[in-house]
Amino acid sequence: MHSLLKLSVVAAAAGVLMMSASGPAAAGDLDGQEIKVCTWGGSWRDIQRDNVVTNPGGLEERGATVTFVTGSPQDNMAKLIAARGQPVCDVIEILDATWDQMVELDFVVDELDFSLLPNAKHLADWQIGKNFTGSWFTQEGICYNAEKFAEHGIPTPTTYKDLIHPKLEGLIQIPDITSGGGLANFGGIVKAAGGDENNVKPGLDLINAMNVKKFWKRGSEGVTLLENGDIWALISHVGWCMRGHKAGQTYLKFVHPIIDDEHVGVNKFGFLSIVKNSPMEVRAAAHAYINGYLDEETQFQMSSRAGTIPVNVNAQARLAQDPVLAEMAVLDAEGIAKEYRVRYKGIDITTWNDQWNRAVTQ
Amino acid sequence: MTASTPLATTASNGTRPQPQRQPGFHFPLAKVSFYGFCSLSYIFLLSPLVVVVGASLHRGSRYTVVKFPPEELSLYWYTQIPDAHWEALTLSFSLAFMASILACIVGIPAALGLVRSNIPVKGLFSSIFRAPLQIPSIVTGVAFLQMYYLFGDLTGIYVNGTFAGLLLGHLFVGIPYVVGTVGAVLQRFDTRLEEAALSLGAGRITTFRRVTLPVIMPGVYAGGLYAFMVSFGDVPISIFLSAPGFVTFPVELFYGMENDFNPSVLASSTLVILFSLGLLLLMQRIVGLENLLRSGGGS
Repeated sequence: MHSLLKLSVVAAAAGVLMMSASGPAAAGDLDGQEIKVCTWGGSWRDIQRDNVVTNPGGLEERGATVTFVTGSPQDNMAKLIAARGQPVCDVIEILDATWDQMVELDFVVDELDFSLLPNAKHLADWQIGKNFTGSWFTQEGICYNAEKFAEHGIPTPTTYKDLIHPKLEGLIQIPDITSGGGLANFGGIVKAAGGDENNVKPGLDLINAMNVKKFWKRGSEGVTLLENGDIWALISHVGWCMRGHKAGQTYLKFVHPIIDDEHVGVNKFGFLSIVKNSPMEVRAAAHAYINGYLDEETQFQMSSRAGTIPVNVNAQARLAQDPVLAEMAVLDAEGIAKEYRVRYKGIDITTWNDQWNRAVTQ
Repeated sequence: MTASTPLATTASNGTRPQPQRQPGFHFPLAKVSFYGFCSLSYIFLLSPLVVVVGASLHRGSRYTVVKFPPEELSLYWYTQIPDAHWEALTLSFSLAFMASILACIVGIPAALGLVRSNIPVKGLFSSIFRAPLQIPSIVTGVAFLQMYYLFGDLTGIYVNGTFAGLLLGHLFVGIPYVVGTVGAVLQRFDTRLEEAALSLGAGRITTFRRVTLPVIMPGVYAGGLYAFMVSFGDVPISIFLSAPGFVTFPVELFYGMENDFNPSVLASSTLVILFSLGLLLLMQRIVGLENLLRSGGGS
């Protein structure tokens, strides 16, 4: 009887230890914390909700309440400015092109507590800073109709200049500079044409030489035009090409264009941060949200559906099992390291827009 | 050609009368061209709606493109409309309905004041009531959001992120339509009707309720309908004033299509198109669309 009592005490103690060891993921540990997340709407928001909030062990089960403030990073930044420092949201998703503007506004992003972000260890060094973690990135390049190219004897493109072909006149679509992928792709085209962040003219000349049919605002326009045969080549991120391919447009292939001797392909990437004036009482939930976003499963689900590339290296490896993405995307660390990333710091984006409007719309 | 046609008649003095010029077209070719041009223009303008409705019936796979004409007819995407769309639709209808009602409540007295008063700064007031139409909506959205925060800082009452906050913004842009259409009717209003009612012993309120209001109702309907449509379709203001739980239908669609394309968007859009057509038919039955046009609705 005595030994049974001892055994019970030991078992109870072990149970308590196990419960405490489970730490922040314990049910109810975020009770009463309500956070708002600034991110895009539609399926982007839904994937996050399903994999970070309402999933088993997610924030909802742990007692937190999460609501979404939907909008593009630019719109959300405008809301933060209009709110004059008040926390419109607690967690914010930011694009690379707007990051420096966000940091300049000293009321926007705060330092992160990486002890609450165990999943951050699965990210590459360049995707982590004192006040941000990467959340995803895209691989921008050329999505093209391989059947049409073969039928008309057009060589497979290896870089943007290859799209200057008499048989491709009026059959190319590229992103408008104001669209989601506009700045990254424009930066890549400029670099490939021999320019740089401060000299965009070579890129503008190259775009004019391509004889583009249309500039897209939404990537879905491009895959629709590819399906209808109105264009044969689309400059976009690999996700749109992947979605089209999975929807039956099996003639679609993707090329990561050669940018220069060191770079192949172009990246656009997203960050996650905590808004500076977010109340300290909800910071644990805010960190838990970011940690959940960086989780392998969330990253994998987001990439499988949207065609973005996960920042979590385990999810990258897992994604290689998706035959379409494995063929279209670059998922090895060496290849990813070679991709060109526009340095937005110091760039006057308004000047880029002005030059684009003057040159491209002529 | 009947006997009364000018070409077939002869004047009593025996001289052949000069053919009288009738209004309208005299050459069949011109008439056919005109109607043909008008028809083609309407077909062109309405064709995007036809594409949306048609493409919503295409049974595609999960990630797909806008497919028109549909290859495989199905209502599949109507069963896939996400809850967020239904919630946003409910909010947009409620918001537009409330905005149009309140726009009428504010706009009718405003129109009466602008048309009938002799205050020296009538022109200034008229400009103020028209101003929401001249300010870019995106500016209105930012301005309202800033005002809400400022008001909240001063009073502790924050209306941003609430239904009331959205409603105020939508009301701001809805009022000019009611003022415009009711004002147009009032300009042609025969005030002797009111004088007759007053002389027969009716009070001012009874006269307004029994005489004035029924006469200006086409303008009220027209203004209310425009206010409803402007509110329902608004994106720029709602982008800034929407908040968790208060996302309008156009904003939900706008952001939903930014990173993805799901044909359920076409299905829910089709439902809105059908609702709008139903609303127009209802208006036709209640007041008659020709009355709406006569009330200066488009002005």
